[in-house]
Amino acid sequence: MADYKILFTGSVCSGKTTAIRSLSDIETIDTDASVSDSAIRRKQKTTIAMDYGVLEMSDSSRLHLYGTPGQERFRFMWQLMMSDLVHDAQALVLLVDNTRNDPFKDIRFYLDEFRDYLVQRQLIIAVTHSDQQAHPDHAYYMNELKGMGIFTTVLFIDARYPDSVLEVVKSVLAEREPDLNWDELGQRLMAHRPPVIEEEEESSEAPVAAETSEPPEVKLFSAVSLMDAAMNTRGITGAMHLGADRKVLETNIGSMQNQAMLKTMVNLVAALEKKVAFLGHIDNLVLCGPEHETLSVFVEERQALGLCSEKELSLAVVKQQGQDLLQWSGE
Amino acid sequence: MKELLGQVDKAGVVESSCILQGAEISVSTFASRNHETVAKKAFSYVFQNVSKLRTKHDEAHLEIGGKRLSGFMLNGERVLICMSDKNTNVSLVREHIYLLKPKFEA
Repeated sequence: MADYKILFTGSVCSGKTTAIRSLSDIETIDTDASVSDSAIRRKQKTTIAMDYGVLEMSDSSRLHLYGTPGQERFRFMWQLMMSDLVHDAQALVLLVDNTRNDPFKDIRFYLDEFRDYLVQRQLIIAVTHSDQQAHPDHAYYMNELKGMGIFTTVLFIDARYPDSVLEVVKSVLAEREPDLNWDELGQRLMAHRPPVIEEEEESSEAPVAAETSEPPEVKLFSAVSLMDAAMNTRGITGAMHLGADRKVLETNIGSMQNQAMLKTMVNLVAALEKKVAFLGHIDNLVLCGPEHETLSVFVEERQALGLCSEKELSLAVVKQQGQDLLQWSGE
Repeated sequence: MKELLGQVDKAGVVESSCILQGAEISVSTFASRNHETVAKKAFSYVFQNVSKLRTKHDEAHLEIGGKRLSGFMLNGERVLICMSDKNTNVSLVREHIYLLKPKFEA
């Protein structure tokens, strides 16, 4: 019996759990918990440790499917999995959520995190949610990745459909399993397994790889607004949404003191953006202290976000929450 | 003071550091004048406003390019500034500074 392993990774809501459920012949082992951060905009549950499933490809070959938790605060699990459970995996599949404001930011982040791991194995970039956001399209991805010096397979998939996810597996194992009848396997999966319906959204559209290569537009996909999402996020007590001109679009921060301080921070960031752009992009400015709420400002070209959060919340968590909230928001 | 700053700089945690006294740098190990100047301007402005608005914040972190500039308020209206790689765990930087802070304030 030949045993293969594939590790799925990617941001929260990119479809890792769904992809593994689509393919697995066994009841998948998952470690879901209620969402307590910006992912509330997309779903109620999130993976906190790992996902595991098994696909019996034939009488003589079996595929073990592993999925990492998406949130950066569980990155210790990534290390644990890479050094132990999946140290002998054949490939890393990076699932990229096409509805994120900047999917390439996610790609850069995960490739950096898994750089050493990728030295000895294949990388597949699988783009999901293209039925909700068609851009960037396949050509745009290939072009951008080429610019980043990355030459790898990019597939547009729908994680809910077994035959769609099977294309990823085929890209990894077709050469190792030349006698396997992939069409038959796909038919078996589709016949015995209805498409996995995700808890957050339902859509009957097939995956789309649009033909144009226009840059992505910012769109809102969730009924939950950025401000609502912020307020549903663990530890966040107030939020301020700012536009490209760094003017306040919306705020629910009650304390005038916090509002004034956040505006001061935004003014500082705006001034630095103009004067010291040669040093690089300003990602965030955080202000904290033992007797006061933590104030933070996260900056992107088209928008910025100010947050008040409980002083007990770690700065790493504050940072990830701010970045995630901006990744799923429009102006 | 220069010796104390030598203890702040630690491989893998803090690359360089300086002391901001009022609006001027009194002692520094920064190799990059650009980063030192940005830190000086940014933390002077931030902590002036903290004082003006009486918010009691005593620590600020600014991520710019591949670097993180951190400012920690000391007694005597001084700020200990340090620069680390953006990917360095900020908790490591904070723990390291919290251990050394009493020496600066003694």
